[in-house]
Amino acid sequence: MEELKEKLSTIFGKDRVTSNQVDLYPYSYDMTECSPGMPDFVVIPENNQQLVQLVSLANECKIPLIPYISGNNVGGLTIPHHGGIIIDFGKKMNRILHVNEDMMYALLEPGVTFGQLKKYLDNNHSNLRYSYPFAPPYASVVGNAILSGMNNLSCKIGSMGDSINGLEVITGMGEIARIGSCFYGKEHSDPGSWWCRYPMPDLLGLFVNWQGMTGLVTKCAVQLWPNPRIQKCYMVIMFGLTDIVDVLQEVGRSEIVDDISAVNTEVIKMTCEIPEPVKIPGEPDFAAILPITAKTEKMMQAKEEILHQVVDEMREKGIQILLIDFLEFAKIFNLRVRCYHDLPAVILSLVEYSGLTWFGSYAPMHEMKLLIQKVYSIFNEHGIPPFIYMKSMKSGHYAIFRPIIRYKKFKEEKKVHMLLEEIAETCINLGCIPYKTPAWMTEKMRKVINPGWLQLFERIKKCMDPNNIFNPGRWNT
Amino acid sequence: MNGRPDLTNVQVNGREYLEMAFNRCIKCSTCKYSYKLFDQSCPSGEKFLFESYWASGRIRIAKGLVNGDLAWNDKLIDPIFACTTCGACAASCQAPHADFIVDIIESLRELTVKHVGPGPHQEKIKERTRVHKNPYGEDNSDNRALKTKHGLPDKAEWVYFIGCTSNYRRKRVRDATLSFLKKIDIGFTLVDEYCCSSPLLRTGQVEIVEELMHHNIQVINDAGATKVVTSCAGCFRTLCKDYEKFNMEKRFEVYHLTDLVADLLQKGKLEFKSSISKQITYHDPCHLGRHMNSFETPRLIIQSLPGVNLVEMRRNRQHAWCCGAGGGVKIAYPDWSVEVARERLEEAKETGASIVTSTCPFCKTNLEDANKQFSMGFQIMDLVEILDNLELNVKK
Ligand SMILES: Cc1cc2nc3c(=O)[nH]c(=O)nc-3n(C[C@H](O)[C@H](O)[C@H](O)COP(=O)(O)OP(=O)(O)OC[C@H]3O[C@@H](n4cnc5c(N)ncnc54)[C@H](O)[C@@H]3O)c2cc1C
Ligand code: SF4
Ligand code: SF4
Repeated sequence: MEELKEKLSTIFGKDRVTSNQVDLYPYSYDMTECSPGMPDFVVIPENNQQLVQLVSLANECKIPLIPYISGNNVGGLTIPHHGGIIIDFGKKMNRILHVNEDMMYALLEPGVTFGQLKKYLDNNHSNLRYSYPFAPPYASVVGNAILSGMNNLSCKIGSMGDSINGLEVITGMGEIARIGSCFYGKEHSDPGSWWCRYPMPDLLGLFVNWQGMTGLVTKCAVQLWPNPRIQKCYMVIMFGLTDIVDVLQEVGRSEIVDDISAVNTEVIKMTCEIPEPVKIPGEPDFAAILPITAKTEKMMQAKEEILHQVVDEMREKGIQILLIDFLEFAKIFNLRVRCYHDLPAVILSLVEYSGLTWFGSYAPMHEMKLLIQKVYSIFNEHGIPPFIYMKSMKSGHYAIFRPIIRYKKFKEEKKVHMLLEEIAETCINLGCIPYKTPAWMTEKMRKVINPGWLQLFERIKKCMDPNNIFNPGRWNT
Repeated sequence: MNGRPDLTNVQVNGREYLEMAFNRCIKCSTCKYSYKLFDQSCPSGEKFLFESYWASGRIRIAKGLVNGDLAWNDKLIDPIFACTTCGACAASCQAPHADFIVDIIESLRELTVKHVGPGPHQEKIKERTRVHKNPYGEDNSDNRALKTKHGLPDKAEWVYFIGCTSNYRRKRVRDATLSFLKKIDIGFTLVDEYCCSSPLLRTGQVEIVEELMHHNIQVINDAGATKVVTSCAGCFRTLCKDYEKFNMEKRFEVYHLTDLVADLLQKGKLEFKSSISKQITYHDPCHLGRHMNSFETPRLIIQSLPGVNLVEMRRNRQHAWCCGAGGGVKIAYPDWSVEVARERLEEAKETGASIVTSTCPFCKTNLEDANKQFSMGFQIMDLVEILDNLELNVKK
């Protein structure tokens, strides 16, 4: 180990390598109930050259490399399963390299945070915006995109994985590859060339959703979107456990909202800082926030008219639904809930316990009602109030279904895990595809995934990473 | 030394804060940058980079030590002591334990001192204070000579608590305060003060602090004072907050000089007659700003100075960048400490100000060190030095 440390110090400099247990410890776990695991080293890279040398060294020594940005993935994905070297991209590879107004994209290093991008755009390109998650402002844009995040423009644009224009990666062979329209140029790319990922073979798929298992991303171009001048936000309140699915579907396909984020009453109460929130009989079951933007007042009026029409049609079907101005609601009840709208922000209620975990999944829209019912009864059986979060993606083509569990870290892991396992099993059986998946969950998935997919997956992993150095253990590799 | 201290049996100040943090910190990284402004704000993390050098990392380390996952050994020293306890992390963290992050770090230091030893060179603070009653190791001044020189009584309503940095190192701050207090004629005296305890508390060396606190309370009571004023932000924070934390019974109120001045201005009892045509920027001392929530009072005073144009640095108020001196860092990591101050002065350069003012003699020390070392060309002045240069109109 001393010899390896020497070598790492030669690559990164003495101050950027540590094997001090005290320094390693904070990287050994995250907010989830996933078991902790210590790395052997942490390194802080600054450039590609260092990373190319690192990959070669790791292949030589067969030591794992675990890419890390801020460890906010809520899936235990940066916890080392087999020791190894944590590559902390968050500290020095965090530059916004280029913002292209003409083709509306930003070229980023992996460590760029949502807060950083928001501030940069507001100060320098206020006509453009990005799509922000409910994650803390210091989670990374690239980490979120390469894990197919779902953010506050997702009803319009879908998964954040779709908005990647291009990547620069360091492969298992230590080659630097540029993928996307930036692939022209033998040595360097033109910063203006990162505008599209098609129509060549889409090699991006070799790195998106692979949880750092196939290579190191060193640059990523993400699409930006026009930032319309007129912005409003509505909220629907639903009385009836599963009627919220009609909103996800019908409002989603009306193509007038940027996002539909739906949460149950327990989550709303939690956001309003009611200490141990439970739903009282007679209270509504769900609510959804619907941000709407428009270029002109007329356009806004038209969108509002459509929204009212959709809501009226739902009422005619007997659905009990209230439509209110969310920002007025925030003023009356609790200004803190505005954070749901003013992203990126800390959603306090999500970070006020030392533990947070969830079953986050892409879900088939047609099973959503059943999912809600089944998961509610699991929560009830465990005597834990249900916390549910859902989204309508890309005009309602699919949905996000996410039961959330807050807990006391170091105390309640076992209890939480039992609940989560049951939820995972039920949801996978109904077709949900978990994202940012911890290994215990992929193990369950493997039992129902077709063998052809698994063989192809294994073969690609082996081919991309013959020594299994990249984040081993994910997806049970 | 290895060990598994069960928190229930460990006598450590702020045990409840440690427990609170363990149940609340989610490692979300919000404490790393100024909330909603998204600026760098943690001097320690920005320098040493690894997670262990940010607030959340320190909370994790505390947990690891208490769990027994980590051993008590000298590898702990830098992650635990290379922190200015500036509180910028606390200003950004949105979780319920936010206000106690500095207490958590101080509790962790206290435990580390017990199990491993103090931070680099910090034992000098304790030894000097034990022997000389001040962290600089100067012969303790009982302030009799100053009392005689300024014709101050033995008993008065107010005590000016000078503080060790002003009394032994930044004497111009002390003298300007004395001169100014005489001009505003508030009826004050000096006492044979000991170190307020701040450097010991900030570095986790708490053995003798109660003795120092008792002494200071006694001499202030003996002077018949009901009010104490100080121009040192560190003394102010300590006399107000830490004496309470140690359950010291005080029969007097404590004011920072800026509170007193602002009060007189507001009541129309003080006016500035002469003017200074200068562009001034104000550096918020952590101990006055974030720790005591006093951001606007010093600014109100500066804005009322005729001719002065107050210009703000990019990072100001609760998100101000620390001067780099606090938390025992100046003695333990002198080079890094001045680097932090240099960054502050570079920010001050962007404002076009010629004077950088503050309300803490320790900030003045470090800013002045950086000013000289890197030839930054500023005038670094404590606010009281500026006030004392002006002609005043004082009404009874
Ligand atoms: C309270 C909370 C709320 C959240 N809400 C949302 C939400 O609403 N929507 C949403 O989409 N997400 C949400 N998230 C998750 C979060 O947005 C993303 O997972 C996060 O942005 C990932 O960034 P990170 O910096 O934490 O990455 P990390 O967790 O550090 O890394 C993520 C993954 O990428 C890999 N990786 C990191 N760097 C590289 C690299 N350079 N090359 C290759 N692989 C790499 C890692 O190994 C890991 O597998 C939430 C998280 C929290 C804590
Ligand atoms: S200290 Fe606060 S801001 Fe920092 S990681 Fe913990 S909860 Fe988040
Ligand atoms: S007190 Fe200051 S230096 Fe220490 S962790 Fe907090 S922000 Fe960083």
